[in-house]
Amino acid sequence: MSYSLFDLDQSTKNLKQKKNKLYTPIFRRILLPGIVLMLALGWSVFALRIRPGHFFDGLPHFFNLVSEMFPPNWEVLTRGRVLFSVLEVLSMAFLGTFIGGLCAFLLALPASGSLSQSGSIRAFFKGILAFERSIPSLIIALLLIVVIGLGPFTGLVTVAIGSIGMLGKMFGDAIENVDPKPLESLKSTGATKIQIIRYAVLPQVIPSFIANTLFRFDINLRVALFLGVIGGGGIGFEIHLAMSLFRYADALAITALTLTVIWFAEKVSDYLRKKIIGKEILQ
Amino acid sequence: MRLLKRYKTYILPSFIFLMLLWGSAIITQVELHTLFAGIPRGVNLLLSMFPPDLSVMPELLYPALETVQIAFVGTVLGICIALFVGMFAASNVNKNRILREITRGLLSAERALPDLIVLLFFVTIVGLGAFPGVMGLAFSSLGMLGKLFADAIEEIDPRPSEAIAAVGATRLQIIRFAILPQVWPSLIANSLFRFEINIRASIFLGVVGAGGIGFNLIMHMRQLEYQQAMSAILVILFMVVICERISDVLRKRIIGAEVLK
Amino acid sequence: MLSVKNIAKKLPDGRPLLKDISFEVKKGEFVGIIGESGVGKTVLLRCINGLTIPDTGEIIISSNNTHQKINGKKGKELRSLQRYIGMIFQGSNLVKRLSVIENVLTGRLGRINPLRSLFYGFTDEEVDTALNALEKVSIQHLAARRAETLSGGEMQRVAIARALFQEPQILLADEPIANLDPKNTELVLEHLLPLKKEMAIMGVFHSPQIVRDYCTRAIALKDGVVFYDGRPDISSSILEQIYGNEFAVQPVSVA
Repeated sequence: MSYSLFDLDQSTKNLKQKKNKLYTPIFRRILLPGIVLMLALGWSVFALRIRPGHFFDGLPHFFNLVSEMFPPNWEVLTRGRVLFSVLEVLSMAFLGTFIGGLCAFLLALPASGSLSQSGSIRAFFKGILAFERSIPSLIIALLLIVVIGLGPFTGLVTVAIGSIGMLGKMFGDAIENVDPKPLESLKSTGATKIQIIRYAVLPQVIPSFIANTLFRFDINLRVALFLGVIGGGGIGFEIHLAMSLFRYADALAITALTLTVIWFAEKVSDYLRKKIIGKEILQ
Repeated sequence: MRLLKRYKTYILPSFIFLMLLWGSAIITQVELHTLFAGIPRGVNLLLSMFPPDLSVMPELLYPALETVQIAFVGTVLGICIALFVGMFAASNVNKNRILREITRGLLSAERALPDLIVLLFFVTIVGLGAFPGVMGLAFSSLGMLGKLFADAIEEIDPRPSEAIAAVGATRLQIIRFAILPQVWPSLIANSLFRFEINIRASIFLGVVGAGGIGFNLIMHMRQLEYQQAMSAILVILFMVVICERISDVLRKRIIGAEVLK
Repeated sequence: MLSVKNIAKKLPDGRPLLKDISFEVKKGEFVGIIGESGVGKTVLLRCINGLTIPDTGEIIISSNNTHQKINGKKGKELRSLQRYIGMIFQGSNLVKRLSVIENVLTGRLGRINPLRSLFYGFTDEEVDTALNALEKVSIQHLAARRAETLSGGEMQRVAIARALFQEPQILLADEPIANLDPKNTELVLEHLLPLKKEMAIMGVFHSPQIVRDYCTRAIALKDGVVFYDGRPDISSSILEQIYGNEFAVQPVSVA
């Protein structure tokens, strides 16, 4: 059917002659990034010597091992060492987050400008926090192991130090976003910096501090877990050990226990966070 | 009396908290003297690590590249699967409620698993090497990416989809022209974020033997070759910072392009 | 031509909404549908273009000698018929992140080979025609702009251009001017009116004045049936019956 409405108009013809296209067909638009992506992917797969054939060859082996895992050997959980290691992980995460949070707070104060107005001091502390955030906990752990030795204490210090970067930034942001009016009214009555922080800044930021700390606690549970593998104490070690000794049923049992405990700890942390935020809203 | 009651809501929890802290300190065998003794040792260590042995750098470059490549391929694989699964878990694409709930439940369970455990299991069961590492990363990314993708798909405005359905478009056309344009910036931003996480996980993979610079680092440390270890650390830091910078820049460009236009 | 025969549709809770709707609409007509809120005008439109399935009745499109039933069809068959029915929604429903021209181009997705549309996109001829469609609603200069940067009236005109580009036989409009200010209302209706030369237009309006001023025919729904079907200049006594007590003297222009 021919539409009389579609007769060409001169002004529109001119528009069409313009060099910059109104519409680029899809495949031309994604062509360049698509090719780059495919090349990078192809190169990586080739360089890593990944062959899909591997996957299918390994399947019988895979099923073998999985069947060796079941039924999980629950008996291994009665060994005191295992239960204690689970407690170690919880303690490392708990105390480590707490200490890290305190240090982060102390660093966040100058970083946010509450202590001094000097731009260079703020930049300095912010820089420390940013640098600290980039260092993987793995490296911190390895260095501390040499310095302090193996064991859960090292793990604890690693967790604490590892938390400072992220918590420091979050605290700093929270402090910077504080409502300035209470601060000004306190300042006008002649309060010192410390008093201003104590009475005007802190009450506003404490709920968000606690929420952020709880968030970091969840992360640190997993950090503590992986520190165990490299010798920082905690049940990660037991799991890795069981796997290396081919005791897969043991490994599964320990893992199941660990996951349950972690899940439980996260639920508690979520509950507390909701309570804090709920209180916030009510206040 | 009322004062006492009010203090009970503060004093009791604080007391319990302090007890927990103290208990933790005992369990983790906090020994402050060890810490203080460690400080001179720490200084010693740092001194012995400098200057870093730069001659080792060339042989570190390849493992570093490997680590990035494992993270890259693993993330891409994870994205592909998560896209697929995410559509299954989105209420506006998958009308079948049971299937949706099951998918969401599985994603939730996977998300709860610590990445470490997933990777350990993969490396143990499938074997050491780059391929298990890639699969492990893909699988560990599924939970987070699947949920984020599903949420992004669900949050779109349904009305353009309806308008395009009304002209007689097929399901795929609706996805391509109405759903995808709304959703792709969020998809890419989440993927880049996961890539950053996977880079760190990939380093860890090296530690447990799946290849990459993590392995070099652990080896040098265990053999007390501190200057070489320092080189490895520098390479790792450099790699992490560069990848995170690139990821941030790309993310800002995507979100920025959205806002500016 | 569109034939609607004995359409009935129940609400989800079981109460009847549409009971027995029948009428015919031909090319060249601009029909205005009016009635109380909730009487089922939108549901009726959605039954016509297949977005909603009526409980009973038939909806038939015919051109020259072919007749096609819409109701009861699914999937590919339904889609092949939907391409002949264009729809304009109250909120224009454009894909906000796509450009104006891309939004117009989506109008023909029912006709284009799915694979080609997915992997290649649209041809230069299609882009040219889409540009013409935009010109018919006087916004061709906005073709490259992102849809979300446009005003409500402009977006609605893009929706008209999209419907135009689709080249339907029937154009449905569900309260197309409800969200627009009077100036844009006039603009949109002025652009809608000439389209009746090529297609039959059915629009749902909440204002009888608009129907009287622009439409060639008025259909009023009441209690699930067609209460009035005839000239658009409806007498106030009939209007009172259509709208019941809620109808009072409506101001025609902006005050």
